[in-house]
Amino acid sequence: MAAGTASAPALDQRRRPPAKTPFFARRRTRDLTLIWLFLLPSLVIFALYRIIPLGWNVLLSLEFWSPYKPARFAGLYHYQEMLFYDDAFWKVFWNTIIFMASAPVGIALALGVALLVNTRVPGRGVYRTIVFMSYPVMTVAVGIIWQWLYNEKVGLINYALISLGVINRGIPFLQDFDLALPAVILASIWQVIGFYMIILLTGLQSIPPNLYEAASIDGASAAQSFWRITLPLIRPSLFLCFVVGIINSFTAFDLIFVMTGGGPGHATDLLVTYIYSSAFKLSKFDYAAAMTVANFLLFLGLAFVANRLAGGEAGAIKRGA
Amino acid sequence: MNEGGTARRDKGGRNVKKFAMLLAAGAMALTAGFMTGGANAADKKITVVTWNIPYYKDGFQKWVDAFKKIHPDFDVERIDMKGTELPAWYQTQVVAGTPPDILDLQGGIWLEYASQGGLTDLTPYLKRDKEYTDRIYPEVLNNWVYEGKNYGAPMYISKTLLFLNRKMMKEAGIEKDPTSFDEMMADAEKMTGPGKSGFMTLNFDWLYWPLFKMNGIDFVTPDLKKAAFNTPKTVALVKRLADLTKKGVIDKISWTGRWVEPNGAFAAGTVGMLHAHAPAYLWFKSKADWVNSDTVGAINLPGDWSTPNSHAFVMSAGSKHPEEAWDFMKIATSGDGAVTFGEQTNNLMGDKIADQELMKYFEKNIPAVVPALKTQLEHFDKLTGNWPFAKDAEIKDAFYPELQAALLGQKSAEDALNAAEQKVNRILQSQ
Repeated sequence: MAAGTASAPALDQRRRPPAKTPFFARRRTRDLTLIWLFLLPSLVIFALYRIIPLGWNVLLSLEFWSPYKPARFAGLYHYQEMLFYDDAFWKVFWNTIIFMASAPVGIALALGVALLVNTRVPGRGVYRTIVFMSYPVMTVAVGIIWQWLYNEKVGLINYALISLGVINRGIPFLQDFDLALPAVILASIWQVIGFYMIILLTGLQSIPPNLYEAASIDGASAAQSFWRITLPLIRPSLFLCFVVGIINSFTAFDLIFVMTGGGPGHATDLLVTYIYSSAFKLSKFDYAAAMTVANFLLFLGLAFVANRLAGGEAGAIKRGA
Repeated sequence: MNEGGTARRDKGGRNVKKFAMLLAAGAMALTAGFMTGGANAADKKITVVTWNIPYYKDGFQKWVDAFKKIHPDFDVERIDMKGTELPAWYQTQVVAGTPPDILDLQGGIWLEYASQGGLTDLTPYLKRDKEYTDRIYPEVLNNWVYEGKNYGAPMYISKTLLFLNRKMMKEAGIEKDPTSFDEMMADAEKMTGPGKSGFMTLNFDWLYWPLFKMNGIDFVTPDLKKAAFNTPKTVALVKRLADLTKKGVIDKISWTGRWVEPNGAFAAGTVGMLHAHAPAYLWFKSKADWVNSDTVGAINLPGDWSTPNSHAFVMSAGSKHPEEAWDFMKIATSGDGAVTFGEQTNNLMGDKIADQELMKYFEKNIPAVVPALKTQLEHFDKLTGNWPFAKDAEIKDAFYPELQAALLGQKSAEDALNAAEQKVNRILQSQ
C-alpha cells in the first residue's frame, strides 16, 4: 500500500504529457512565421498587381462599364458577343494559337544551332554571340528592321529575290492577308532564337560526356544518341523554351504594333493587340475585359498541358535534391 | 529608492509621451499645411493637353501669358501627347478622376467621349460669347456637334484634297487635271509602270470616303440609323478599285498604310496622285527635295468632296474650372492666339479673321503651301465622312476590315459589303 501510494505520483508524472511550450515559442511556429514574413512582401505585391486586377477584370467583364458612366450588370453579354457575334475575335484567337504553335519551330531551329555551336567548331564562341545578339535588341527596333526588310519597293528581301530572278515584282509581305502573319512570326522567331539557343546549350553542356562514351562503346549511332540521350536529358530546357515561346506569343504586342498594327484586316492581330484596340481605341473596356478572361484561360490551359508534357512536376523542388 | 525610481520613470514616461504628442501634432500640422497648400495649388490650375506638337513652346507660352492677364492667380499645366497614346492616357485619367481640363482632339475620337457624357457642352458658352462664335466658320463649328450640342472650339482645320505629281503627269503626257473619278483613274493608269503607281489614298478616319461619295454612294441613311452603302453601285466601285489595286494602278499601301507609309511613298516620287489631307504636304516636302509648287499640284478632289480631319479643343466634363478653361480655349483658338498657332505649325485655323492674316503670312513666307491651304477653305458644303456616330470608332472598325479584304482581293465585294452591312447595322442599332 505504502509502496503503492509512493509509486502513484511517480506514475502520474510519467503519464502527464510534457509541459506545453507556448505557441509562439515553438520552433516550428517561429520558422513558419519567419518564412511567411519573408514571403509577405512578394505575396502582397503579387496580390496587388496580379490577383486583385484579375478579380477586378472578371468583375468588369460582367458589367457594362465606361469611364464616364456608372457600371451596370451585364451578365454574360460580353461573352456572348465574343463567342457568337465577333468574328474578329475568332480570327485573332486562331492567330494567337498559330503564333504559339510557331514556338516549336523556333525551338527546333535553335536546337539545331545549339547542337552546331556545341561541337568543336573553330570560332564557336563568335557564332554563339552572333546568334544571341538578336535577343537583346529592343522589340520595337526588331519590328522596324523587319518592316524595312519586307518592304515591297525598297526591302532587302524583295531586292534579293528580284536580283536572283525568283520574282519580277516585289512581294508586299506585310500587306498580304496570307503572308503577313508568317512574316511577323519569322521576325519573332529571329528575335528569340538566340535566347532559346543559350538555354538549350546550357542543357546540352550539362549532359555528362560519359553517357555518350558508353553509348558509343555499345555501338549507338549519332541519331540514336540524340534521340535516346540528348533529347530526354534536355527536356527541362525544352520545356522552359516552350513556356517562353508561349509567353512570347502573349506579349508580342510591340512587334505587331510596329510592324502591322494588327492588319491587314485582323490578319496579324493577336489577342493581346485586339484587347488593347478594343479597350483604348474603341473604348470597349468591358468587352476587352471579357477577352482578357478568355486569354487568361487559354494561357492557363496551355501552361497545364505544357506542365503535363514535362512530366507534371515543372517548377517543383524535390526534397533532398 | 524604489519609489524614487518609479517617480523618475513616470516623469520620463510623461516626457516621452509629451514629446511624441508634440511630434504627432507637428506632423499633423505639416501635413495639413501641405494638403491645404496642395489643394490651393490644384484649385488654381488648369491642365491643357495638346496633340503631338511638342515643339510648340513659344506660342503656347503666349497663350499662357494672355490667359494670365485675365486670370493672374491661375497656373496652366501643359502636357503634350502623341496621337496614338492620347486616347489611352486620357481615359485612364478619367478613371482616376483627374481628367485634364482641356484636350486637343482630332477627327471623330471626341464623339465617343461626348456621347457618354465625358465632355462639357460648350453651346451655352458659344451662345453667350457671340463675338468669339461669329469669328468661327459655322460649318467647321458644326463638325463638333453631337445631338444638337457643341463640344469643340475649332483649332486648326484640315480636310482631304488631291496632290498631283506633275513630273509623272508630264511624263505620261497628261496636260489637264482630272475632273471626274473616271478621268482620275484613267490618268492614274497612264502613270502606272514598273515601280510606279498612279494613285494612292490615306485610309484612316474615313479619309477614303470621298472616293465613294464622288461616285454617289452614301454610307448611312440621313437619320443615321441604317447602313446605306450596300448597293450594286458600291459593289461595282469596290470591284473596280480592287481591280485597279491588283494592277498596281492604285498603290496597295492605300489600303494598308497609315500616315507615314503613304506619304513616304509619295515623297519617293513614284506615285502619281495622293489623296490626303493638307498637313501631308509639308510632311512629304520635308522628306523630298523634288517637291515644290511646280512639281506638286494641289486641287480639290473632282466633285469637291472632302473629309475633314480637323482638331478642336474640348473640355472635360470633370473640369473644376470650366469658366477659366473656356477663356483659355477662346484665347488659343481665335485672334492673336490662333494666328500664332497657325504661323508656328503652318496650319489654317477655325477663325475666319485669323485665316486672312495667316494666308498673307503663307503667301509671303511659304508660297508653296498656299495652293493646298486654299482648298482647305473651299467647299465646306461638301464635307463627308464626318457623321456624328456615338460609336464612330466601332463602326470604322466594323466596316474598314471588310472593305479592305475586298480591295485587296481577299473577299468578293458582295461578301465583304454584306458582312460589313450586317456589322454596321448591329452597331447603329445599339447606339
